[in-house]
Amino acid sequence: MNELEQLVADIGARSLEARQGRPAYPDAFDEQLWKNLEETGLSRLTSSEDAGPEEAAVVLTGLAKHAAAVPIVETDLLAVWLAAKAGLDVPETGPLTVAAADAELRDGSLVGTAYDVPWPHSVAVVLAARTPEALHVGLLSDAPTAESVNLAGEPRATFAFEVEASTTQTLDVEVADELTRRGAWARCVQIIGALDAARDLTVAHTSERVQFGRPLAKFQAVQHSLAEMAGEIERARAATELAIVAATDFGFNSAATDYAVTVAKVATGRAVGSVTTIAHQLHGAIGATVEHRLWLFTMRARGWIDDFGTTGHYARRLGRIALTADDPWQVVVSCPEPR
Amino acid sequence: MTQFDALCANDPELSELRTAIREFLAADRDQHGWEPAVDSWLATWDADFSARLAEAGFVGLTIPTEYGGHGLGHLHRYVVTEELLAHGAPVAAHWFSDRQFAPSLLSYGSDEQRREFLPVIAAGKLHAAIGMSEHDAGSDLAAVKTRASQVDGGWSLSGTKVWTSGAHLAHRIVVLARTSPLDPEHRHAGFSQFFVKLDSPGITIDPIVQMGGEHHFNEVTFDDVFVPDADVLGSIGDGWRQVTSELGFERSGPERILSTVTLIVAAIKALPDDADDGTAAAVGELVARMISLRQLSISVARTLASGEDAATRAALVKDLGTRFEQDSVELAADLLDRLDASAPEARRLAELLATARLHSPLFTLRGGTNEVLRGVVARGMGVR
Repeated sequence: MNELEQLVADIGARSLEARQGRPAYPDAFDEQLWKNLEETGLSRLTSSEDAGPEEAAVVLTGLAKHAAAVPIVETDLLAVWLAAKAGLDVPETGPLTVAAADAELRDGSLVGTAYDVPWPHSVAVVLAARTPEALHVGLLSDAPTAESVNLAGEPRATFAFEVEASTTQTLDVEVADELTRRGAWARCVQIIGALDAARDLTVAHTSERVQFGRPLAKFQAVQHSLAEMAGEIERARAATELAIVAATDFGFNSAATDYAVTVAKVATGRAVGSVTTIAHQLHGAIGATVEHRLWLFTMRARGWIDDFGTTGHYARRLGRIALTADDPWQVVVSCPEPR
Repeated sequence: MTQFDALCANDPELSELRTAIREFLAADRDQHGWEPAVDSWLATWDADFSARLAEAGFVGLTIPTEYGGHGLGHLHRYVVTEELLAHGAPVAAHWFSDRQFAPSLLSYGSDEQRREFLPVIAAGKLHAAIGMSEHDAGSDLAAVKTRASQVDGGWSLSGTKVWTSGAHLAHRIVVLARTSPLDPEHRHAGFSQFFVKLDSPGITIDPIVQMGGEHHFNEVTFDDVFVPDADVLGSIGDGWRQVTSELGFERSGPERILSTVTLIVAAIKALPDDADDGTAAAVGELVARMISLRQLSISVARTLASGEDAATRAALVKDLGTRFEQDSVELAADLLDRLDASAPEARRLAELLATARLHSPLFTLRGGTNEVLRGVVARGMGVR
């Protein structure tokens, strides 16, 4: 483990331990954890420190392994980045989020509804309103129109908005694509951490739980399920690692990263279904209760995978790339040119 | 060089090699007219092709130059192998000697053996078969009963090997045999390897015909076959370690993912660019599985090439990859179902599909069943 990994693991472990004193559902923003992340510079690692996607991936995976209840992706990779692109000032500390939505331009106003906005009670909500021609970026000051939670109980909200277009900054629509790509990339990276944790819990549980006079893990059927679970995770990890190096080498606004994120989103999406199913099967009914930790990881993974475009959406995208390629094999071997 | 290209096995040197092998294959196919096959590493034996491929410099890549090879790395071999499979080239004749026998010689062979055999392997002219399984020793390889007893100047070999691909066409067979009686406390002790001439007196080769009528496998019977000391491979008594210590490359290689790739790629090519959303999604799911498996396979190859252990992940690749190969047959069939049956390529694709269906039960059996591999993975996870 390198220094950064160790730091994240320590901070994450403290947060997970402290969960026992909090209500299990719905989940709430972890103020102490956020404070620790700010003090160590991890909360805005890529936006203010000299760090890139590789370091961000270490932080995101490590925190997801501990079911960290903080908008780290939303703050560091999305809101601060987007605000900087638009030249908007956002608070220098505290959690931030982005409300992304398609919008219509009506009489000088941008009108639309942003659904499932993560962590809506952050200190600033950056609006990313996309019209067919442009991306409009501003700050949302109204309270949410409706509140909800995702599968893991993380806060989400709906913002129905109508804002003067003149109060927003107008950016190229490509920036909206990059925003989605960054979000999808980050969710894949986080999901790998959550699935690793689910696997570790499952190995531990099946090694301890005794039935028919022996630990579950001594049954061959159980061993085979564990092996299947490990395989799905490693496959998803291999695809996600390619996405991490793509972003490191070429940045998020590149064809190579677009290709690798598209692949990773599908590979990770399919792994989520199979890994969470096996993890719950091997835990028995206790694994599906709030008193057990398993759901913190499995339901985060299941909830996150639909963010920034579903698995099916990315499968169709990848399918189109292969269908229109001169040689589909070349799509397997690497990102098709031009990159 | 970017890390991205390295992870895709496309850094400049590998990329150049990839272009070269593709050019060779296109020209060779034009001139000699072979058709891309499904599962070509088992199914299509063409000694002339193997010689031409070697002549062009694409066999024996990892064999050192002093033994007539090219002195290149495992990733070079990876790239050439995956391109050969992707283009369905007839590679069966030199497959086992290049993939298994050459590495064994380099690890365990004597210098005389290396000088004698490696240059012929690199020339694509030594065709080897692998004699491991027996009637009562399938997944449980340690149950092998073929015996070799010491005689004047060598060994006398008796027993029967089965599922020996290409033995009826090959020059030599690598045989795993007991050289000491079974010790139930140490089942893996007392094995040795021999590199036996297939035209030796006392050898009988009978075909084991596959469903569908193809003949690749054989039953090879050894009745007091004399094997000179010079054809002992490695050390007497060390056979088990010799056959099991280098399974990583074999388990994680492109042939564990790509046995059906010609069918998949041809099916995608045959579909219209503007296919409906459902078709695009089906193609995308298939391609995502291939890419992610390939990335995992390359990641294992890179670990192994740097001399580190990756036994568990290699077993994972074989389990995941061969199940993908099997699933891909019916997924490809569903894609073909969307094609116009009167389309010109539809007949040829139907033939590829039929071959894939006949071969697909073997994908998860050969080289160690998936049940055994999952046991290996479970052990790596610390639960076994």
